[in-house]
Amino acid sequence: MKFIITLAFKNLSRYKRRTSITAVAIAVGLMMYLLVDSILIGAENESMRNLRWYETASARIHAPSYWEDRMLFPMESSIENPDAVLALLDENGWKATARTVFTADMILYSEDFGEDGNMNVLVTAIDPETDNDVFHFSDTLIDGRFLEKGDENGILIGSWFAEDINAKVGYWITLVARGNGGFYEAMDMQIVGILNCPNPNVNRTLLMMDKDTAGYYLGMNQAVTEIDVLLPEHEDIDVEMAKIQAKIEASHLDLEVHSWKELAKDYLAIAEAKRGGTSMILFLVFIIAAVGISNTMLMAMYERTRELGMMRAMGMSDNNIRLAFLIEAGGIGFIGAVFGIVLGLLANLYMVNVGIDFGWMMRDLDMGYRIQSVFRGAWSMSSFIEAFVAGIGLSMIVAWIPISRALKMDIPSCLRHQ
Amino acid sequence: MCKHDKSKKHLLFPLLLLLVFLPSNLSAVSAEEIIQKMDELATFETSYSTGSIQTKDRFGTKTSTFNAWSQGESDSLIEFTSTAERGQKILRTKGSLYLFYPDAEELIRLQGAALRQSMLGSDISYEDMTEEKNTLDNYKAVLEGTEAFKDTMCYVITLTATTRSVAYPVQKLWIDTENYLVWKAQYSTAQGRLLKEMEVLSTLEAGGRVIASETRIEDKMKRDSHTYMRLDSLEVNPVLDKKIFTLENLTW
Repeated sequence: MKFIITLAFKNLSRYKRRTSITAVAIAVGLMMYLLVDSILIGAENESMRNLRWYETASARIHAPSYWEDRMLFPMESSIENPDAVLALLDENGWKATARTVFTADMILYSEDFGEDGNMNVLVTAIDPETDNDVFHFSDTLIDGRFLEKGDENGILIGSWFAEDINAKVGYWITLVARGNGGFYEAMDMQIVGILNCPNPNVNRTLLMMDKDTAGYYLGMNQAVTEIDVLLPEHEDIDVEMAKIQAKIEASHLDLEVHSWKELAKDYLAIAEAKRGGTSMILFLVFIIAAVGISNTMLMAMYERTRELGMMRAMGMSDNNIRLAFLIEAGGIGFIGAVFGIVLGLLANLYMVNVGIDFGWMMRDLDMGYRIQSVFRGAWSMSSFIEAFVAGIGLSMIVAWIPISRALKMDIPSCLRHQ
Repeated sequence: MCKHDKSKKHLLFPLLLLLVFLPSNLSAVSAEEIIQKMDELATFETSYSTGSIQTKDRFGTKTSTFNAWSQGESDSLIEFTSTAERGQKILRTKGSLYLFYPDAEELIRLQGAALRQSMLGSDISYEDMTEEKNTLDNYKAVLEGTEAFKDTMCYVITLTATTRSVAYPVQKLWIDTENYLVWKAQYSTAQGRLLKEMEVLSTLEAGGRVIASETRIEDKMKRDSHTYMRLDSLEVNPVLDKKIFTLENLTW
């Protein structure tokens, strides 16, 4: 056995060029696999994070009747005493903020926008003092200023939305909305800031104003339509949700808590379906890598058929020959896998810290990811282990075929093989 | 001098008479009575009409034609006959509004906030259709005076909402002093911002009443946004099959 192992390793060093070429093929294949895997995992993780940071928070509290009609944003189904709920959450260490979300008809004027127009919009009224405890909008300001508490006319707009309607800081718009009860109200608002939100779905449609101002116009009487809660990332969301619900019920508040997973149910269903496609992409990358490895290994083994015939003529058993060649193939696979992992680590280091900017493509194309421009990678230990094992295993498996075929040939044919 | 004084006295008497009687003539009808009369005259026991809704905005003009049946204050059925919406039906019964889409064979019940959606992209919402004819339950009426509108003397009444559950917090109506037809209406926000304006362009007589046959509704917040409602024919108090206002009939 020792002889077979020694022979295999001697062969590795004897055919340096072949060993290196084969190992490089394996290394490049594995690196590609690790890179694609990293981008896909990174995109999914960042999408989920941007979903929570800019859309859903970790959990949301609603009045019970709100959920059924949530697509219509009913103002009537509001939380009457948000301060009591916020105080309760604060007592128990949960960060939260109150918001009022309503639909409106946005009127644009030719004086500012070049032509008159109108469109249906979704407006989020926030508490500028506490919203950033839960969401991350203040970090995304690129022009103007952020909202202030009690801002009477100020409104913020997403940068893509601003580009689409040619809006600039200082422009005036009018929002015609239905207040609490159903009455019409018109609000003249001035754009005071532009936010470049990393979540493209939000950046395309974002309009944000002060909650107290919206409450005054819409007759909310301190009521809000939702309270958004931030939960620590490492906590089990279902356990935390149950705790919040229990505290709310103990305080005799008739409210419901929904996790971000419930709020983004459609997105998660698409993401789940997309995961199937992602697996397919990874499988294809793997096949491409495998074909490259197989081809190089097949060539390496076929060109040694005469050597194999000579070893058989000298009396070495078929099993020992097969074993020696398999160990040699495994050795090439090992060298390739080590280099592949190192290359993968280096490439991933760049991907995790810098990433690739796909902004030019994401601006007009909705791929379902909540990423606006830069796709970053993510570290996945299991992927590296899988790639390492696959590099060695695949090399040995593909070597099996030409070895078995050569062993089936008679010795003179092996010796005459070109 | 004396003659002049005499002529002054001659003028003074009828003027005094006018001053004494004019306010009593105006106050002979209160704002509430005018509104009640207006509400009463806006409904028929039964009716059948055909007409069209023409919506004009910056994207162009769209016309939808319809047949409509109504019974009392609460029951009505509209069936659209224009190509794009053919077979679409809107059934209104007491407190409920249903939409039927023949292509999808789907029946949708609209309630709550869904009623605020625009009907066929016009300036009329489904909620406007479900509105009960009991204006005084939701508004306080004040008679501002009389004013001529298109050579017709009208009462000018301002309605101020007493509840938040109505679409327009303030309405100003120009109501015909003779036939109680609303010739013009301005709908505003509580802050006094004019949102919509309705104007009757032509009328027809049916069942002894004067009815608006062509109405223009203008969205004052949007430039060039108008909706024209035209009644081509109106049959008052026809005998209607009771099944017309049932869900069963809607899906046929």
